[in-house]
Amino acid sequence: MKLFKHFDAESIDHVLEMVTATNGKTALMAGGTDLMGVLKSELLAAYPEVVINLKTIAGLDTIKMVDQECRIGATTRLTDIAASEPIQTTFPALAAAAASVGSPELRNMGTIGGNLCQDTRCWYYRYPDKMGGRIPCYRKGKGPCHAIRGENRYHAILGGKKCYAVCPSDLAIALGALDARVKVVGPTAEQMMPILDFFNVLGTVLKPDELVTEIRIPLPSKTAVQIFLKNRVRDAVDFAVVSVAVMVDQEEGVCRDARIILGAVAPTPYRAFAAEAAINGKSLNETHVAAAAEAAVKDAKPLSQNAYKIDITKALIHRALLSS
Amino acid sequence: MTKKYRFIGKTTPRKDGVAIVTGKADYIDDIHPVSMLHGKVLRSPHPHANITAIHTDKAKDAPGVRAVLTHADVPPWMTGMPRHVKVLDQRVRFVGDAVALVAADTLEQATAALDLIEVTYEPLPAVFDMDAALAPGAPQLHDIFPGNLVTDFPAFGPNTLSKVVRGDVEKGFEAADFISEGTFGYENIANPLPIEPPGVIAQWEDDQRLTVWSGTQSASWHRWIMQSKMGFPDIRAITTQCGGSFGSKNYAPQCLFYASALAKETGRAVKVCYTKDEHFGAFVLRLGSRFCGKIGMKKDGTVTAVAGDWMVDNGAFSDMSQSQIAVGCGEAQLVLNCENWNLTTKLVCTNRCPSGVIRGFGGQELESAFAPILADVMAKAQLDPVEFFKKNYVKPGGKYIWREGNLWTCRGKDYTDAMEKGAVSFGWKDKWNGWLVPTAVEGSKRTGVGIGIHGNADVGEDDSEAYIRLNADGTATIHASVSESGMGQRSSLCKMAAEVLQLPLEKVHMTPPDTLVNPFDFGLVGSRGTYAVGSAVINAAEDALKKLFERVAPELQAQPEDLDTLDARIFVKGKPEQAMGWGRAIGIMRSVTGYGEFKSDYSVPNFLALFVEVEVDTQTGAVKIKRVVTSTDAGQIIDPPSLNGQLYGALGSAGLDTAVFEETIIDKKSGHMLNMNMCDYKWRTFNELPEFENVILETPFPTHRFKAIGVGEISTSPGPGAVLMAVSNAMGQHMTDYPLTPDRILKVWGEKKGIKNETV
Amino acid sequence: MKKTNGKERTAVTLVVNGVTHELNVGDQPYQVSPCHTLAQTLRETLGVTGTKVGCDQGACGSCTVIMDGRPILSCMTLTIQCHGSEITTIEGLADPASGKLHPIQQSFVDHSAFQCGFCTPGIIMASKSLLDRHPSADKQAVKEALSGHYCRCISHYQVVDAVMDVAEKGEGDR
Repeated sequence: MKLFKHFDAESIDHVLEMVTATNGKTALMAGGTDLMGVLKSELLAAYPEVVINLKTIAGLDTIKMVDQECRIGATTRLTDIAASEPIQTTFPALAAAAASVGSPELRNMGTIGGNLCQDTRCWYYRYPDKMGGRIPCYRKGKGPCHAIRGENRYHAILGGKKCYAVCPSDLAIALGALDARVKVVGPTAEQMMPILDFFNVLGTVLKPDELVTEIRIPLPSKTAVQIFLKNRVRDAVDFAVVSVAVMVDQEEGVCRDARIILGAVAPTPYRAFAAEAAINGKSLNETHVAAAAEAAVKDAKPLSQNAYKIDITKALIHRALLSS
Repeated sequence: MTKKYRFIGKTTPRKDGVAIVTGKADYIDDIHPVSMLHGKVLRSPHPHANITAIHTDKAKDAPGVRAVLTHADVPPWMTGMPRHVKVLDQRVRFVGDAVALVAADTLEQATAALDLIEVTYEPLPAVFDMDAALAPGAPQLHDIFPGNLVTDFPAFGPNTLSKVVRGDVEKGFEAADFISEGTFGYENIANPLPIEPPGVIAQWEDDQRLTVWSGTQSASWHRWIMQSKMGFPDIRAITTQCGGSFGSKNYAPQCLFYASALAKETGRAVKVCYTKDEHFGAFVLRLGSRFCGKIGMKKDGTVTAVAGDWMVDNGAFSDMSQSQIAVGCGEAQLVLNCENWNLTTKLVCTNRCPSGVIRGFGGQELESAFAPILADVMAKAQLDPVEFFKKNYVKPGGKYIWREGNLWTCRGKDYTDAMEKGAVSFGWKDKWNGWLVPTAVEGSKRTGVGIGIHGNADVGEDDSEAYIRLNADGTATIHASVSESGMGQRSSLCKMAAEVLQLPLEKVHMTPPDTLVNPFDFGLVGSRGTYAVGSAVINAAEDALKKLFERVAPELQAQPEDLDTLDARIFVKGKPEQAMGWGRAIGIMRSVTGYGEFKSDYSVPNFLALFVEVEVDTQTGAVKIKRVVTSTDAGQIIDPPSLNGQLYGALGSAGLDTAVFEETIIDKKSGHMLNMNMCDYKWRTFNELPEFENVILETPFPTHRFKAIGVGEISTSPGPGAVLMAVSNAMGQHMTDYPLTPDRILKVWGEKKGIKNETV
Repeated sequence: MKKTNGKERTAVTLVVNGVTHELNVGDQPYQVSPCHTLAQTLRETLGVTGTKVGCDQGACGSCTVIMDGRPILSCMTLTIQCHGSEITTIEGLADPASGKLHPIQQSFVDHSAFQCGFCTPGIIMASKSLLDRHPSADKQAVKEALSGHYCRCISHYQVVDAVMDVAEKGEGDR
């Protein structure tokens, strides 16, 4: 890896000071499982002058139940989330999403904040610089999205415009179904934003001088059912081809407040409002579930090689709802 | 059968086992000669371009940099078959091709200096598939290969097999009841992908003497093959423990060139260890393979004619493609015992990463490509594929033309019994419901079964030499140029020697794989370790004992043939009291050396059948391998875990899983390899292991001292075709494309159901 | 760049296989650079080469070591972030006094649970960590614990047998 300076952060304020002092030529590292790859492959022309270690901030890796919500510190590791008893009990979709990431070793290193902030896995974007040079593209600020007319089996079927790379985060999908909020802290302000607002088509809304410090999840209704399903080529190591997280409450056999979030089908986590509408106020029978699955993908515009994701998306919604 | 051997056939610990489990086994990147430099390669952004200018001044001035080399100042060494690949060329032929070399004190310095080399390119049009390469007016990769066709086949002498022409195909097709034809590809260009990337350290002792250390499979190749490419320096080739090869790291000509050129320039030892990116993008891939032709068959399953053109995608260059075509042509005849052939071949250059030697060696590529045609003709005849393969593989007395162009008569084993026992273990009769009929259907999950077979007559390929030195302390040392890349063969050779010498296993050792101290051995390729290398070692051991017995016979008042030895004590048979220890017999400051050799013999093919059960989820397109059974006959197992390991290897090294998810993905416009990482290049994980059973018969094989024959290499090859067949049966529809990724499954299933998704 | 107030570490203390190493941060071969991975430091600075680097991108498991009780990937870990950590590598498993192999190591030898052996140290470390936490882990747990480990030779079946043998004998938490 190319050289950088390294600082252990003492506090969030300390991070903000350092980021300001370096004019943003800073990379924030939590688990490092994504950033290390970005740096080693020199994916981006801009290489950080400074890497700041967030793991040294005391108390940022805790899971707490406070005031009808769960607060998870940004550097809480995925293994700890997957194994946390309160999370397994109250937020099984999140536990399942955390347990599905990468491999046991990666989960011992990777954090919830890092999982949300990780960069895309688009293989044009990730092309290593030392193999003939990185590939410029729309996402990198120069050139077209090569996936549109190229190799696009893992790219977006929904919501792609200038860039068809998909959001790789599994936790974002589960947190979306759970209606979680993300605490974003910057030099002048801090804000709590709904998790789905945290993402945009080129990644996240984070400015160079901002960071995620906490995720807050409201306690769900006691009768709500949560499911997280992840389809991928292999049952380990792989990122999702399609994932779906569902939270749905049923009263006397009738659905209400369904939240259906799709992963790896769009540049951002994708809320399938049409699918939700197809089951809200109805029972979860085969007909309504099939209608929801169809509704979820009715706007899909697949590229040359990824129409199969439509089938998988429908199958996953179907399975998730019928097991709810 | 009762085991009459002391070591052979028993599970004994690998000689290097403790070193491996304690981390003491040294691989190439674990060793550092004193004042060693690190070499790095600048790589091309273009799939095809001329270098019009290259400036290295800034790089040369960078901290720690000791040398920067370009096409203008590298030695005039050449590799490739025929010789056409320079150390560095003014023309680059794939994205990632080498442009310049840097040696520096540290790896970081060498890497940083790459960014300081300024290159101007004149981009040229490129071709990424065989059709484009063969089109009229296509850009030419190499001046010596007009039309991008490699037509020179010197691999195994003047008659090297580049086509199979036997009998009369017209008559053959006339006699056929069923004919199937078509064009099908096995063009995954998968990566054998040993876990350890290739690496070489080179150091010049003087102008003519070069020492190379490498993590490669066959030490001799870096001496005997590379010498002729480099103006015949005296190369001492040493191999470290090799972190997997599967053929691909038999040698590493490019790494060796780069390290040796930089070492020559700097006068220092230089290490060039590829990164995983380079291993993916600039080392070697499987050949692309496409078969366009037809197969004729009688109702009873007799194959009456095979005709067609085998197109082979070479990539930018290769040292060994012609060899693989020759062996592939031979192996196809072993699988299809047919009198009438007209199989022609085309070897085509394209602008992608080169191809190299890979387990399966041509046969896997050709057989996987024609598997859909074979499946179709069997289905037309409603023949059980197990019966078909049993009927059609070459049995003792059958004939085939082998790689060097001679017609051989099989004097090997009959594998029918092995195939039948494999079918029974697998439960074939219960699971096979006929062509395109699933074994079971449960909701969206459909299971199906398939079989493939593969044979190879390279079991006795090439020559081997070995010495065995008997020492006065009651130990024996094997001198043979055998590297350890995972087969456990160094341990198995010790077992064979210990059995002949009747020494405790811990008293038998091998010299390190070092060509300076060992005679020639071709290396562990084509399942030849047990039969060819083993026979040389056994012969050496017998020769050594003969010499020892002759020396002490007078003193023991017996004839040499009346003597025997046990645990380093020589005695007269039947008179154990008339004895002498090796110390006295050999002389305390002496040794006795025996010599053994093996000369190539292509008359003893091996075979292996692979049965597979798959489950296809027609909603998600997932193909799950549920169960695998391999069946073969090893004559005599030398070491059970090592042999089982070789057969389990069917799932690795671009074998069976090339039908499931393994493939190299290259952008069709720019030539960039896109999945050059271990997340996007798919491989089998621990938590998705199918059940796996090996059925290994031990029918004594007469011409080996311990009645053994090698079968290790061939386990990967029948897998792809078997999986294709199994998935076809599960889906009720012929599947013809590799790999069977969810997109392909769902597309075919959707069309079958009349559902189609519109694309933009 | 303006001056930052942060702590720029000048030395790193690592406890590797029970031995404490004080390493200065700097650019000399015997020092730790801020951009060095733990795998680099172990192999090149400390000369403990049993830990292997396969992909160097966190996707093959070869470089697995146990840090503060958990298996982690040393190729994706910055040494400078390991200050004060306890690290066990493959070299730290056998009894230092007698040289006796750890039961898992012995079981791998007994089962020949390797072919080329390059992935073996990482697989053994992950297995060791699993059995430390779950001495009687079942087969599925072993497979899941190893799910990030690449072995191209396909030693998987013999590896699972070797680890299960230790688990069943109850020797894993030695």
